[in-house]
Amino acid sequence: MDSFHNLKSLCKRYRSELFEKFLLLGQGHPGSVFSIIEIIVTLFYKNHIKFDKEKQKFIDKIIISKGHATSVLYPVLRDFGVIKESDWQNWGTSKSNLRIFGNISITGIDATTGSLGHGLGIGCGMAYLYKKQNLNKKVFVIISEGELYEGSTWEALLFASHHKLRNLYIIIDENSLIILGKTSDCLKLDSISKKIEDFGFTIKECDGHNIDQVDIALNLKSDTSKVIVAKTIKGKGFSIMENRPEWHYWNSITKEQIEICRKDIS
Amino acid sequence: MKFQRDVFLEVIFDHLKKDKKIFVLSADFGAISLDAIREKFDDNFIHCGISEQNMFDVATGLALEEKKVFVYAMSPFISLRAIEQIKCGPSIMNLPMTIISVGIGLGYADAGPTHYATEDFACIRALVGTNIYTPSDNFLTRNIAEITLRNNKLNYVRLDRHFTKDIDYKSSKTILSDGFRIIGEFSSSKIAIISHGKIIHNCIKSIQKHPSRGFIIDLFKSKPISEELYKLLKDIKKILVVDEQVPDGNLSAAIFEYFCKFGKTKFITSLSLPERHIFENGGRDLLFKLNGLDEDSILKKFEEIN
Repeated sequence: MDSFHNLKSLCKRYRSELFEKFLLLGQGHPGSVFSIIEIIVTLFYKNHIKFDKEKQKFIDKIIISKGHATSVLYPVLRDFGVIKESDWQNWGTSKSNLRIFGNISITGIDATTGSLGHGLGIGCGMAYLYKKQNLNKKVFVIISEGELYEGSTWEALLFASHHKLRNLYIIIDENSLIILGKTSDCLKLDSISKKIEDFGFTIKECDGHNIDQVDIALNLKSDTSKVIVAKTIKGKGFSIMENRPEWHYWNSITKEQIEICRKDIS
Repeated sequence: MKFQRDVFLEVIFDHLKKDKKIFVLSADFGAISLDAIREKFDDNFIHCGISEQNMFDVATGLALEEKKVFVYAMSPFISLRAIEQIKCGPSIMNLPMTIISVGIGLGYADAGPTHYATEDFACIRALVGTNIYTPSDNFLTRNIAEITLRNNKLNYVRLDRHFTKDIDYKSSKTILSDGFRIIGEFSSSKIAIISHGKIIHNCIKSIQKHPSRGFIIDLFKSKPISEELYKLLKDIKKILVVDEQVPDGNLSAAIFEYFCKFGKTKFITSLSLPERHIFENGGRDLLFKLNGLDEDSILKKFEEIN
C-alpha cells in the first residue's frame, strides 16, 4: 500500500478509527494525534521504518516523544500485526494494555513517554549505539513544538550534533499551539529552523499533511541528523477541532458535533 | 589510599576488559580511574557535557538496548537536577542502570549549599525500584561495584568525596548479601547505632568510649533493607540513627518505616543535619561539629538515651 491515493484513504480511516475510540473512551489527545497522522503513515507505509515480516517487528525505532499522541501508533501496529486486533478492540478495558500514553509493555512501543522532553535524548542514546556498532538502523523521534520549551530537548540537540548522529531523524510537529494558546503569544519560538540551523543538522521544512512532502523530507541524505520541521494543523481533519487549543484534550461533545466530525472524515 | 570513586571505577575498568556491554557516562565529572577508562575504552565512554538531564535520557536509550549503563557525576546534580529523568527512564521502564553519585552530604564543604547533597537520600529513595548503597570504606565500595555489575537493578551508589579509612573488618561482621555489617560486639541489651557512609567513622570514635553499651550497624544497603536486619534487631530497645542529611526523610525515616512494616515500633532517636542551609566555612569536620554530627555530639546523644 503505497500509492498516494491509498495512503490518503488510510489517513482518513485512521482518523475515523481514532476518533471513534476517543469518543468511546471519553478521553484522548485528539488535537495532537490528528496533527501527525500523515507523518506516521508516511513513516510506516513509505518504508522509512522497515519491518521484519519473519520476526513481526520493526527494525527501525520510533519514539513519540510527545507521549500524549502515542495512541496514533495503535492502528498502525494493529495493521502490521504487531499488536492483536483484540487489544485494539478492548482498548479501555482491563483486557487490553493499550492506553492513551504508550509504554514499553505494549509491543511496538520503543520507549515509555508522557512527560515532555525525554524522547529525543532516549533516541540519541539508541542512535549513538547503532552508529557505533555500524548497524543499519534508524531512529525517528517525533517531538512537539512545545517540547522546544524544555531545556533537555536542547541538551539532546547538542548531543546529536556533536556525535553527528546521521541515523537520527527529528520530526518537529509545528502546529503552533500549546494548551494555553498560540506559541507565538505564550513564548515565541519562531523561527524554529533558524534556531536549529547552527547545530549543523540537515533541516527541511514541509507541509506535515502532505505525504509527498513528508516523504521527500524523510529521504534526505547527509552525514548529520535530519530535522524535519513539519507544519501541521492541530486537530487536522475535524472542523470543530482544527486550530483549537481546547481540543488538546478530549472534550464533552454534542450529538451534532459528533455528526459534523463523522461527516468531516466520511 | 584511594578515593571511593577510583575504587569503584577500577572495578568497572576490570570488567570492561571482557564485557563490552558496559557503558560509562559522565556529565563532565572526572577521576583518575575515569581517565583510564576514557583512554583504554573510549568506545564505551560517553562525555555528555554538563547536561545531567540528557545524560539520563541517553543512558535510558542505551539501557533499552540492553547495555549495562553507569552514569557518573557529582551528587547534588546527578540526583536532584535530573530526578524526573531517573523517574521516567530507568524507574518507570524498570531498566538496570547504576548511578554513581560522588560527594554526598557535606562532601563539597566549603562550596556551600548548592554543592551539598543533603537530601538526595530522601529524593532517590522515593523513586520506585531504586536500590541505594552508601559505602563507608573502600572494602565496601569494591564489593558494591561488583554487586551493581550483576544485579540488573536501578542502583544509586552514594560515594564520599573524601578518603574513607578502611574499617577493620576483622573486628566487624560483614554480611554482603544482607547489606549491613556489625561493628563492635552485638548484644540485644545494647543501643544500636545505625548509620552509613563517612559519618560511620564518627560513630565508631564515639562508641569506642562505651563499647559495652553499644554497637554499630553499618547499613551500606539502605533500600531495600534486608529482613535479616529485623531478625537481628527485633529485641533491641533503643536505636540511634546518624545521617549526614537534612531531618526529613533521612535514614531514620527509613529505619522507622522499616520497623513499622513488621508491626514493631522502636525507640528511635535521629541525629542529622539541621533544617537549614549551611553557609558556614571551615571544612567538613567543623561543619559536623557546628551541626551536631561530630564524635562528641554523637557520644552526647548516645549517653542521653542510654
